[in-house]
Amino acid sequence: MKTLRDKYCIVGVGETEYSRSSRRTTRAMAVEAIRKAIIDAGLKAADVDGMLDYQGGDSTLANSVASDLGIRFNFYMDVMGGGSSTEALVGLAMGAIEAGMCNTVAIYRSMNGYSEFRIGGTGARAAQPVRGLDLAQVPYGMRSAGQSFAPTFMRHMYEYGTTSEQVAHVRVAHSKHASQNPKALLKERVTVQDVLNSRWIVKPLHLLDCCLETDNATCIIVTSVERARDLKPRPVYIMGVAGRVSKPRLDFHWAHGPISRVAGYYAKDIVFPQAGITPEDIDVTGSYDAFTFTTMLQLEEYGFCKKGEGGAYVSSGIIELGGKRPNNTSGSHLCEGYTHGMSMVIENVRQLRGTVDDYCPRAAEGVHTYDYSPGRCRQVKDAEISMNLGWAMPATGSALIMRR
Amino acid sequence: MPQPVQYRGMTLIVPDNDSEWKEFYEHARAHRLVVRKCNACGLMRYPPTHACPWCMDLGWTWQEVSGRGTIYSYEIVAHAIQPGFKELTPYAVVLVELDEQRGRPTADEALRVIANLVKPDFTPEPEANVAIGKRVRVVFQDLADHMALPQFTLTEEPAQGRVWRLPG
Repeated sequence: MKTLRDKYCIVGVGETEYSRSSRRTTRAMAVEAIRKAIIDAGLKAADVDGMLDYQGGDSTLANSVASDLGIRFNFYMDVMGGGSSTEALVGLAMGAIEAGMCNTVAIYRSMNGYSEFRIGGTGARAAQPVRGLDLAQVPYGMRSAGQSFAPTFMRHMYEYGTTSEQVAHVRVAHSKHASQNPKALLKERVTVQDVLNSRWIVKPLHLLDCCLETDNATCIIVTSVERARDLKPRPVYIMGVAGRVSKPRLDFHWAHGPISRVAGYYAKDIVFPQAGITPEDIDVTGSYDAFTFTTMLQLEEYGFCKKGEGGAYVSSGIIELGGKRPNNTSGSHLCEGYTHGMSMVIENVRQLRGTVDDYCPRAAEGVHTYDYSPGRCRQVKDAEISMNLGWAMPATGSALIMRR
Repeated sequence: MPQPVQYRGMTLIVPDNDSEWKEFYEHARAHRLVVRKCNACGLMRYPPTHACPWCMDLGWTWQEVSGRGTIYSYEIVAHAIQPGFKELTPYAVVLVELDEQRGRPTADEALRVIANLVKPDFTPEPEANVAIGKRVRVVFQDLADHMALPQFTLTEEPAQGRVWRLPG
């Protein structure tokens, strides 16, 4: 497949506060996040002429937020989609600019994922009528994301001997990272035993294997390298992108095994050749942590370890700050707050700029201590290349490789 | 349009024009588990779809299957999100691999079905008895005059392959 390596870049990122009670609309939050990203990029509203957003019937469309900000569109689309839409929309933004449709695209996601439409499925989502393809599993008490993914996780444990203890290390690592993140909702470091002692949600998932429903909005601004040249921040170059890659039989992916295989099996053969690199070249990863298991499965499927050795990989210390290849350095969905994937790309942009917003007094200038004890630094030293592994479900995912 | 079916607080809707599910549930109400079989290549598929995923032929016929199979994977729901399931917790959701067409057309493909693992009275099978590899057969939970849900129950047959359940 063709590559647009190093021709497009991310120049601005922004987010609202992460909370469990925003007390405002998704429109208000989206406007704040987009405005912050525009300012971060050193742009004006009039410089943004494209917009992409994603949602599942739980958010505000682009026409309202653009009007609030005084943005006139040359291109916009509202997309139905969940996790892994972030990376896919970065690719679509590149495509829209490459096609000559617009110059600069703001991508946003805004949701009251706890206070209004609980992303975990409780409340309004659970009350929806059941029809069509949902009849194949919802009448059996299998509706939420955790319930829909758990047989994949269980089969991985059966086939490869993966243990609850091993994957608990994902939570341990991400909680360590969140302790360095002023924005994180859960800043307290946890132990493997804390995870194993937390109550069961849907076996094999404990409460602490699950992410944190959150109210927030997030924004990423994509433009061409030419347009970025005279902008203030250091651009983060896009080396490769794969969007919403799927397994066969997407309507009912259980039909096409092995079910312990996830979409990264296919996406890796798109994104690594585009970027012209291998997993060994990656300094920091952002593997979607809707659950501890999703992080593990994707790291394994993209080749950061051998298939079946994901449990050993995530429990080895490699994925922690100070390790060889830290993962989700903001604490991300498990600890910082759930953003449907956006925050993990935002975090990697900041890592590659060298300006992660940790507790280092001169973080904004790129001066860090690299002291990873609690309440200090979360900047990865000399991070040059990052990779995001976006997850929608076992059978759909996206990937994004960026460099500084 | 047949009346929507109320089941455990959910509204199940199978309208007259539901060209995927309407006849499936009518067969289920007659206590037959059916899947679609391609008229051209003979391969069966579930859930009901319109073209054959292997040869794209549009012709198909309902094919009754034995309803016997093996637990391929499972989960135990401890925290129900649907209010009508809270009284059932902990309950098992099983992914059953049917005996027909196992390993075809490729080694990892099969006819697999999601359902609950239940006792003959349709209450949840206790968690200690739920394991990958155990043998099951279909049973039908009648919900209305025009609808029954296929469910699975354990059989006395010896397990298939390695029997495994989540430790603890």
